[in-house]
Amino acid sequence: MNEPLILIIEDEEALRRFLIPTLSSHAYQVLSAATATEGLAMARSHNPDLVLLDLGLPDLDGMEVLRELRTWSRKPVVILSARNREKDKVRALDQGADDYLAKPFGAAELLARIRVALRHTLQADVPQPLVCSGTLRMDLEHREVRQGGVPVKLTVLEYRLLEALARRNGKVATHSQLLAEVWGPGGAGNTHYLRIYMAMLRRKIERDPTRPRHFITEPNIGYRLNLDAPED
Amino acid sequence: MDSPLPARPILVALGSEARSLRLIQAGFRLARERSAPWIAVYVDTGLGATAEDAEQVQVWMQEAQRLGATVQRVEAPTLAQGLSELTRNSRAQALVLGRSWDRWPWARLGHSTADELQRRGLDTELVVLDDRRETPGAGADGIPFGAMVGTFLVLAACTGLAWLVPREGNLSLVLPVYLLGVTFIAHRWGSGLGILASAMSALLYNFLLETPRFRQAAAHWPNLLFFLLMLLSAQLVIGLLRRMRQQAREVQRRELHTVSLDLLGRALARSRTPDAVADIAAKHIRQVFKAQAWLLFPEGEGWLVRPLPFPATDMPSPAKLLPRLAVGGRLGDPLEPLPLGEATCLSLTGTDRSEGVLRILPGDAEGLPPQTWELLKAFAVQIALALERLRWLEEARRAQVENETERLRNTLLGAIGHDLRTPLAAIHGAASSLLLPGEIPETTRRDLLTMIQEESERLAHLLGNLLDLTRLESGAIQVQKEWQPLEEVVGAALGRMERRLGAMPVHVELPDDLPLAPFDAALMEQVLINLLANAQRHAPGQDVDLRAWGDASWLHVEVADRGPGIPSDFQERIFDKFFRLPGSGEGGVGLGLAICRAILQAHGGAILAKDRAGGGTIFHLTLPLDGTPPVPPEGAP
Repeated sequence: MNEPLILIIEDEEALRRFLIPTLSSHAYQVLSAATATEGLAMARSHNPDLVLLDLGLPDLDGMEVLRELRTWSRKPVVILSARNREKDKVRALDQGADDYLAKPFGAAELLARIRVALRHTLQADVPQPLVCSGTLRMDLEHREVRQGGVPVKLTVLEYRLLEALARRNGKVATHSQLLAEVWGPGGAGNTHYLRIYMAMLRRKIERDPTRPRHFITEPNIGYRLNLDAPED
Repeated sequence: MDSPLPARPILVALGSEARSLRLIQAGFRLARERSAPWIAVYVDTGLGATAEDAEQVQVWMQEAQRLGATVQRVEAPTLAQGLSELTRNSRAQALVLGRSWDRWPWARLGHSTADELQRRGLDTELVVLDDRRETPGAGADGIPFGAMVGTFLVLAACTGLAWLVPREGNLSLVLPVYLLGVTFIAHRWGSGLGILASAMSALLYNFLLETPRFRQAAAHWPNLLFFLLMLLSAQLVIGLLRRMRQQAREVQRRELHTVSLDLLGRALARSRTPDAVADIAAKHIRQVFKAQAWLLFPEGEGWLVRPLPFPATDMPSPAKLLPRLAVGGRLGDPLEPLPLGEATCLSLTGTDRSEGVLRILPGDAEGLPPQTWELLKAFAVQIALALERLRWLEEARRAQVENETERLRNTLLGAIGHDLRTPLAAIHGAASSLLLPGEIPETTRRDLLTMIQEESERLAHLLGNLLDLTRLESGAIQVQKEWQPLEEVVGAALGRMERRLGAMPVHVELPDDLPLAPFDAALMEQVLINLLANAQRHAPGQDVDLRAWGDASWLHVEVADRGPGIPSDFQERIFDKFFRLPGSGEGGVGLGLAICRAILQAHGGAILAKDRAGGGTIFHLTLPLDGTPPVPPEGAP
């Protein structure tokens, strides 16, 4: 298989100088653009497998670029944004971005997110029947959940919540996405439903609910399933 | 007499007249001398009080209240009755009142209120303030019925006296009797009745001459001459009295001016904002001039008007109006009122510049009488000075804030100078060693690279903190409060700490029935991370206890460590920006706790540090459980 092609749309040169060699040395092909216009043109001509998109671009709002990309491409988009901009992150995720990285980030974090995002595209068409997070195994085909080999009994809503997270394969899910998937359109705005069910789910599955290993909270954004949970 | 009962109060009887202020002051002094409470009382007899009087009474009552009096308003058929009842009921030790209180002349004719009260046998000290400067103004507003009766009675008395003159008597005795009577009437009830009385005296005199007793003597005394003399002397007396009365009125007017200026000045002295000045000015002008008033402050192209509402829309722009008002200034009087439509405008000129414009709309169509302009200008000066005082205060306050900002900026620069330069120096040094030609052992290379990473993380952390604090303090961060369990944010904070620092010995104790609380998850996570990082820094490897509980209106969280503790002198100051405990060595810049406090305050909560029994520190956080918790979803426990 070819090396995946990654397009970086980022106006800061220092960051590009860090990203390009880091990604090239990890078996990715890299293209980079310093403006939104250039980036969109490159995306059309090269159809990259993944886009790393900075939200603060000089010529066009990153959110606009995302919207434009999403009109014709389903390829994963990972947002690069400053810390403390939760609202922007949520907006980008709800608009179809796949994940985000808060600056400053390290190489390990960057590569992990890219791996998760790419894995997701590969599996997007075929639903993954078995999802694992450490000792937690979720068989989505037979609707069976086992923690450390022991079956876990879940209510319908708890299971739906777990399934919504599992189907994302480690990608972050925003509150509003989870509410829509588990409760349907009527659930919008009732974020506390989500929190209460998440607490119940954690009590059944996590060894110590105050130190969750499987269901990671992203404050003010949402939750993600930790695929790299330790096997203990 | 020395009973434990509260001191018997002092009563002060007020009316609408200007001298009531003196009564108030006398009452206040007396009450202070005797350390007794005092009551200002107005007896409403339901007679002769106009709406203006009522308003004036209200002003006096407020003034009395300001000086510590309890105010009371009673209704009684007569003043004396009202006062005596009240005196008895309140067991007053003294009653302060003015002389010739009653408006009704017959009440003055036989007795004063004070006499009447004495007659009623009160065991109360009467303090009567005699006010010689004030002459009763009867006669000025038409002739009251009582004065008419009085006139007839006096004339009848004179006639009676004349009748007593011996049969062969001399008419020379009759003449002074009538003269005396007419002069008394003119003095007492004014010129109108004086003239009437002299005419009637002439008629009566004529009548007397017709009687057989005086017919003989009449030949020697032409009655026409008598009538003329009578008229002449009455006119003389009337003229004198009118002058006196005018003077008295002038005195009264001046006194009213002084008093109203005094009241305005005192009220303005207590004002703290331009809005309050405008309210006070409008209220006092309404009371004194029966006119509506507004203060206008130039604001760009238009006016900022107080108090609201401001009905007029036809005000010229500041650029047009202010020069026109300033013309008065060049002519020598900066306060010259400028008529503008139905209203009048005055420049509020203080010591150095115009503070704004006073716009007055008279209550009636005739406008403000020119004799009130003097007082109006005095009002404008008072208002201008009050505004000026507030502006100066504001400027002083701003200067102080600027000083404080400057001081903080210096501290900030100092802190940044040190705390940014240290990691930068390390990064720079490490990077340049790596770039040196020649082989570097692998372990050294890794060490240098690790240092670059760690120091840059420290830099990022410091900058993040600075940015957070600035945005929290400027209100740029909006707190996204959502009802949620604390457990989740504790989990997120511990997860983040452990990913950064490895496993931490934190004991978490959260009861299962811990209530949901409204807070911003990202901000509270930051608080917990800062507290845990502090504990880690000052007591590495030691256990940290995190527990929480709820009561009716608060969620309490405690983060307790077994570190060296914080001296009680510093338990408050550690929340100040850039404050570091003396001797705490390496570590943060002193922003972490300041951020915690800013975040909790933004939530309406609080954070405190206290000693922990057995050593260490407890940080106690409180979050308000404001509002209605959301309805739990169906099927939830």
